[in-house]
Amino acid sequence: MKKESELVGLCIEAACESRESVEKWRLQRRSLHRLPSPLADALLRRLISRRLLFPSLLEVFKHSVEEVDLRRESSVDAEWMAYLGAFRHLRYLNLADCRRLNSSALWPITGMTSLQELDLSRCFKVNDAVINHILSIPNLEKLRISQTSVTAKGVKLLASLKNLSLLDLGGLPVDDVALISLQAYFNVWIVWINLLQKFLRCAVHFTADTLKHTSQMSGSTSVLDIIVLKRMQYIDLWGSKISNEGAAVLNMFPKLTYLNLAWTSVTKLPKLSSLECLDMSNCTIDSILEDDKAPLIKLILSGATFLNEAEAFLYANSDFISFLDVGHSSLHRFFFLSKMKVIEHLNLTSCMMGDDSIDMVVCAGGNLKSLNLSGTRVSSAGLGILAGRVPNLEILSLSQTPVDDNAILFISMMPSLKDVDLSNTNIKGFLPQGKTDVDSPLSLMVLQNLKLERLNLEHTQFRDEALYPLSSFQELRYLSLKSASLADISLYYLSSIPKLTNLSICDAVLTNYGLDTFKAPETLKLLDLRGCWLLSEDTILSFCRNHPGVDVRHEFGTVFPFNENGLKHSSPSRPTSRTVQLAKKKDQIPVTPYFSDQRLKYSRDELLALRFTSLPLASSSESGSLIFEKQLD
Amino acid sequence: MRKEDTVKLISAEGFEFVVDKEAAMVSQTIHNMLTSPGSFAERQHGEVTFPEISTTILEKICQYFYWHLQFASGKETEFPIEPELTLELMMAANYLHT
Repeated sequence: MKKESELVGLCIEAACESRESVEKWRLQRRSLHRLPSPLADALLRRLISRRLLFPSLLEVFKHSVEEVDLRRESSVDAEWMAYLGAFRHLRYLNLADCRRLNSSALWPITGMTSLQELDLSRCFKVNDAVINHILSIPNLEKLRISQTSVTAKGVKLLASLKNLSLLDLGGLPVDDVALISLQAYFNVWIVWINLLQKFLRCAVHFTADTLKHTSQMSGSTSVLDIIVLKRMQYIDLWGSKISNEGAAVLNMFPKLTYLNLAWTSVTKLPKLSSLECLDMSNCTIDSILEDDKAPLIKLILSGATFLNEAEAFLYANSDFISFLDVGHSSLHRFFFLSKMKVIEHLNLTSCMMGDDSIDMVVCAGGNLKSLNLSGTRVSSAGLGILAGRVPNLEILSLSQTPVDDNAILFISMMPSLKDVDLSNTNIKGFLPQGKTDVDSPLSLMVLQNLKLERLNLEHTQFRDEALYPLSSFQELRYLSLKSASLADISLYYLSSIPKLTNLSICDAVLTNYGLDTFKAPETLKLLDLRGCWLLSEDTILSFCRNHPGVDVRHEFGTVFPFNENGLKHSSPSRPTSRTVQLAKKKDQIPVTPYFSDQRLKYSRDELLALRFTSLPLASSSESGSLIFEKQLD
Repeated sequence: MRKEDTVKLISAEGFEFVVDKEAAMVSQTIHNMLTSPGSFAERQHGEVTFPEISTTILEKICQYFYWHLQFASGKETEFPIEPELTLELMMAANYLHT
């Protein structure tokens, strides 16, 4: 999209100021007729975003607009479509999530000769009847109909769209027969054989039925069909009813580079010589990629079950693979990793990976930039094997692994690390050298030389004093802590991290005094205090006032706008045991935007009663200051 | 004001607007016309004719040039645009790259 010039921008703003300003220009027919399409597109976009567009206003754009993006506009219906059908230069039409549209409402798109791209994703009322309208759009190149009510029967008919290069059929009940005919494979298959007088090498098992169908249709084919097929580059069939029979003919697309078969029952793939990106997550995999030609770059097999693990990836061309996701898969052996010399992103989440197979990761390690080992059995010892051999590693996740503080020593030997996730581990923050924790050196000390930008220490056994080294982490921007053993002193340490922008310190025992005296780093944008149950509403409110640039999250947080709208006279209240319970409850229940204030639940009388049931908590500010001073000593 | 420092912008109806060269240069199109090498008539006479732009719109454009200069020097005021003028002004601005 070209950026319009400054005065053009001002004009568009002025034109979309209000309903009245729209009325002032909408009758200037001659000007509208002459409007260049980039300006008309920009004006229409602005009208949509300002919610000033209504069906009959569309009429003035019919000569000029080339792109219309109405996604998620719930009001779009047959009337809108009637006007859009008259847009003679329309090239791009996005109607994704327009829930009111059904097939008959889409009739006006029939015969739109300029239309090249159509998105009907998630218009769930749209069914097979729409296919006939779509077929009359001769130049359509990109079509997205994922999660509509189109069935296999309708998809079959799409075969005659000669220019299609992108087809998104995600979540449709497409079956093999539909896929085969969709790609005009019946036709081409026969023509191909007739022309070349030889069978293709790969074995395809047609059922008796499909063969019958094939012979019926072969009469109406032309050589041109082959050329047509060559354009298809991107096919998305996730969640469809495709099985091996349908998948077996995918190799007829010589240019196919992207294929998504996630959540299907496909277990085998034919040789796909130009495939670069394959997604077969949550499939059961028997044999795929046995051809060593496909220049694969990205391979997503998360949650997959391998029937024949020994041969998985054995013949695959792993020369170019830079992204591999086998998280949650059934893999036990990882020999294949040693062949992947250029891999940069490796996800082994919840795999049966342990210290014994970490060698394989080392083999692939030279270029590795991101490594996810969360939920595996890799321990500190395994990490020791990796240390020093992953010079480019930037992102490392060890969440939910049995690593301890020794791991931190090894992490310090990975020079490029920027993002480390150590949540849900046994890390305590003390190197196991001294007899008691008090004598031991703090383990985070050894990470001070790294340029860490993100650190996740949620659900670890860190105590306040072990966090002290964080104050000298010069590049740290995101820090997540979640533990009931953290108190005010932690906040004090964290206040001197120079570049900190996002700080999350949940479930901690922070007191009002601790927050009042917290000198937030100037760069701070977000402070997440959820679960810090000792904090009172007033303290949080005053923190917000003193730090207007910081977005504060807390169970009380949602109350603020209500308070600031003239309810300031209401008596300040400390959190009572009841409100604390409420706050905890709210943590579990997802809060809808329509019901953010717990007080709406109660009648006025109940609320008044609540005010006086507050238990005399020990003055939290006093006790807070005591703790704080003690720790500082 | 010396003649070399000004430029004459002529509307479709023949109305002439004499503006500072500096102000006119806010428009990339005019800037190119006046600075491009070679002996364009526009450059020699310091005159540019816009057969497509009406007097009302050209006047507004000239106001914008001066507003833009002020804005750039830190005087942050609104530039008012009457809704009736938006379409034509938009097209002129698009043509003038301003």
